[in-house]
Amino acid sequence: MSDHDRSQLSNYGIYTIGENLEFTFPNVEINVERIGEHVFSYTRKDAEDNILKKIIPIKSPDLAIELCPIRPLNHPARRTSHVYLDFESPVFLSEGSAATVFVRCPIEIGVFLVHGQHKDSLDWFTCDPINSRFCLYGSPESGTLCKYTNSEIVESYEDSIPFHNAILKIDIKNELDKGYTISKIVFPITSNSLYYKNSKAIIDSLTATLRKKLTLEIIDIDVTHAQTDWTESPTFEMAESVKSIDMGVD
Amino acid sequence: MAFEFLQSLADIEITGGLTVLSLLIGGIIMGVGIILARTVRLLFSKYYAPKLPQDTAKNFGKLIYFGIIILSFLVFTSTTGVDFSGLLVAGGIFGIVIGFATQSVVSNLISGIFLMIEKPVKQGDKIEIPGSDITGTLLDISTFSVRVRRFDGTIIRIPNESFFTSNIRSLSSTPVRRSEAIVGIAYKEDIDGAISVIEKQIRKSMAFVLTLPKPEFRVKDLADSSVNIEILVWHPRDDWDQVGPHLLKVVKNALDDAGIEIPFPQRAIWQAKE
Repeated sequence: MSDHDRSQLSNYGIYTIGENLEFTFPNVEINVERIGEHVFSYTRKDAEDNILKKIIPIKSPDLAIELCPIRPLNHPARRTSHVYLDFESPVFLSEGSAATVFVRCPIEIGVFLVHGQHKDSLDWFTCDPINSRFCLYGSPESGTLCKYTNSEIVESYEDSIPFHNAILKIDIKNELDKGYTISKIVFPITSNSLYYKNSKAIIDSLTATLRKKLTLEIIDIDVTHAQTDWTESPTFEMAESVKSIDMGVD
Repeated sequence: MAFEFLQSLADIEITGGLTVLSLLIGGIIMGVGIILARTVRLLFSKYYAPKLPQDTAKNFGKLIYFGIIILSFLVFTSTTGVDFSGLLVAGGIFGIVIGFATQSVVSNLISGIFLMIEKPVKQGDKIEIPGSDITGTLLDISTFSVRVRRFDGTIIRIPNESFFTSNIRSLSSTPVRRSEAIVGIAYKEDIDGAISVIEKQIRKSMAFVLTLPKPEFRVKDLADSSVNIEILVWHPRDDWDQVGPHLLKVVKNALDDAGIEIPFPQRAIWQAKE
């Protein structure tokens, strides 16, 4: 991409900046410009005119940055690693049945400084701050704080809204002896990687199995890494490997 | 030469079997004990303490340090062959006298031990002691006192006994907290409309208010001049400062923007016809 290239809406990807480059996202504008021989300035402005400015001294003549989707855990503050997907249309699974659904999962956008093989996080932001909110799963005494989203069920990986969400595939199996309506999924998102292509994003899929453990009926959630040729996003925050999590069926 | 010097030290008796040489050996044992205790405590705090809760690590550190020093002292007494039984009898009487004189000190010490066992709160917790105007972050529970850093930045020291016997409100033992506010609207206004306006503004401008449980609105009073609505919102436990102090401002701005009157106290006086 050449200098002074001004697109209406930018794509994810790695950009090399010689002099000046502007990126436009919904509600957010980013400007990166050279202010010295080996110094760049990074400015981000949101819809409420809040401005963030950083100075970036570099060794190489040009600046390379990567814009990519990251896990939705940083806005308004890093408080949890769990995501609560509240399905707009609940899914009913009869006894012994299974279904695959594609749902929209919120994302944030990470800005990484690329130098060689290393990528350092420079900034992050969300294009949908009004819907970036917390919720509580469970009781106030012992519940789990989660990032909340009202999630719509869609048809395929292509249905993500650019810069707002990624598509998450969930394979749901009901191994219980009666039918259940699944209206929400709560899971730690730190073991799910994100992948991008142009302005679309997908996320590692989940397998949710309704089963009986002793006397409790639970949803057992496992992560399956996506087999895709899309580019994998760098990790913004420390990843925690979670093999599975049990959530109560309700 | 050195042997003769040591022999001469062994010949000098200070009191009942205690010679200068044995005192010197005892000093070396105690010195080595202190160095060993410090080294072990240092190794413990470097390699094992980070894996333990802060207060447990601190208590274990103290236990190791003083445990090794007491052991060194026992080795010292057994090698010197000093008979401390007379001292113990005298110490017993002296102890009773000291015990009466330092009752509060002992009480604080015992309370401190119970605080460490019971752990009603832990280091780093945000706490409030109702009725005593103390709210802040618990810095540590030490042998005789507890230190709390108040939200104004000052540090207050509370004797263990007083802390142990107080009601303690923990502000950070649950994942979420609730903040409340009460606002009055004029009798002529639509209550549901006002609630809807407030709810929308809270959702738009208060990023830390939880979506679930939803903000709750209750008609608290049909008061003299206004219909009082109570607003209850939940937020992450560490973000009270982003919600509590701003809630009333957000509510007032929302009502002002919607043209909903917040009445001041007023009284209608009806004059009888003459």
